[in-house]
Amino acid sequence: MLVGMPEILMAQGGSNLKTLTFSADDNGILNFALLLEELEAAFYPAVLKSGKITNSKEIDYLTALGNHEATHVRFLRGVLGTNTLFETKDLSLNQSGLNALLSDRTKILNTAVTLEDLGVHAYNGAGPSLTNPTYILAAGSIVSVEARHAAGVRALLDRPSTETVSDRLVKDADLNASMNPFMGRAYDELYTPKQVISAVGSLNILNNPINGSLVA
Amino acid sequence: MKYFLDSIFKAPFRTLGKTLGIALVVPLFLLSQLLTSSLPAAYAQSSSQSPTLSPRQVVEYALTLEKLEADFYRRAVRATQGGSLAGVPEMAKSILVSYGQDEAQHVTDLSAVLLTLGGNPDGVTIPANPNYNAILKRDPFANPTDLLMAGQYVEDLGVAAYKGQVQNLLLAGEAGKVVLAGALEIHSVEARHAAGIRFLRQTLLKADVRPWVRNASEVIYQENRDNSPIPFSNEAFDGYATREEVLALVSPILTAQTSSVSQSDTSNNQSNPSNNQSENPTSFPAPVQGLW
Repeated sequence: MLVGMPEILMAQGGSNLKTLTFSADDNGILNFALLLEELEAAFYPAVLKSGKITNSKEIDYLTALGNHEATHVRFLRGVLGTNTLFETKDLSLNQSGLNALLSDRTKILNTAVTLEDLGVHAYNGAGPSLTNPTYILAAGSIVSVEARHAAGVRALLDRPSTETVSDRLVKDADLNASMNPFMGRAYDELYTPKQVISAVGSLNILNNPINGSLVA
Repeated sequence: MKYFLDSIFKAPFRTLGKTLGIALVVPLFLLSQLLTSSLPAAYAQSSSQSPTLSPRQVVEYALTLEKLEADFYRRAVRATQGGSLAGVPEMAKSILVSYGQDEAQHVTDLSAVLLTLGGNPDGVTIPANPNYNAILKRDPFANPTDLLMAGQYVEDLGVAAYKGQVQNLLLAGEAGKVVLAGALEIHSVEARHAAGIRFLRQTLLKADVRPWVRNASEVIYQENRDNSPIPFSNEAFDGYATREEVLALVSPILTAQTSSVSQSDTSNNQSNPSNNQSENPTSFPAPVQGLW
């Protein structure tokens, strides 16, 4: 159950924003995944608080998604332990950017699709760079749940559960060819962390600067 | 709750038996004797693990499953075109067509990869008439309820099957990189399919199901794993299945049909131009006959 609002929604955007520096190794990748999970875990409670979703099935779905993402956050923090790069309170959300995504049902559900699709491509893209076998199994156990989320919310919108060509966040021509043996609707392509960060940036919800060799 | 069921179904045999019938325990036991490959690596945090399957073996295994899935959807789509499934809503028909196209694409592309690895995709075969009745112990194409139930089992198992190979492919190093990337690209699409069918069951059939797995009893593989650092019993984490476990489950389907079922159709041979059991070059055990 979600108890109260996540810390991230209470965070104030001050002048001393923590810069998130992701290294190109297992710890950097897990911290990068943690950031995406934190954003998702912040989004769903904000959606429910907005009052813009009134259909009981949609509330049920979005509540479950929020719980799953919060669980992923706790899991990743547990795995990272002292290697955790940032606390939830270190993240600063752009409230006006977030509010713009909460304007109505359609905007909310389409944003959820974007976040979930992006999560899928991000985990897929990071997988081959991991070195610890347990980490890639853990990433696999999470990414298919994100894919189920994406498909579920797409279904609520009568959108196809898989991504049509026009539907993709990164176009074929911009994909890293060596990372992607297969392309098209039947595949969830691998995005580089840099591509993921660019897509996150276009949502305009995170104030923290991001750098490091992983996203260079 | 999954953790509750975890305590009930600790033994994988009992979990499998619950859904598919206790008869599966027998082929599972036989297969454990027949399989020549070693047991999968323990899921420890050791970096000194070695893969239990080569990238080529993983592709051969995946191609078998994809051929089966593609064939399953071909038959389902055919049954919607005036057959026993003619009455299913358009929404479901278009999804069956779309998912079938995805699986056929996986077959095409995995076949190409297998060639580059020195394998023979035409040698990876399924029977002309797989025994799909093994899934539910009745014809899964007879009505929409059974079709979607069988489809959910198949897709969820596909997700678990790909997930069960990511460690093998990672441990193969550079030799496994392309196959790993391809497997990841497919793995999450299978999850989208599974979720889409689950959504159809919830929406059209009012089934108590969600796009994600809420309960270990919803799937035919072992969802919960003791002694894993990953909390598979939590619904925020999807389970995996080893090749041995998956083949034990699909072996009854891969058993050649000796008696006709309503959807048996020899015209399907066009998809398996060299469908001949004797040509099978993989290390798969011979289909277990006569257990059904």
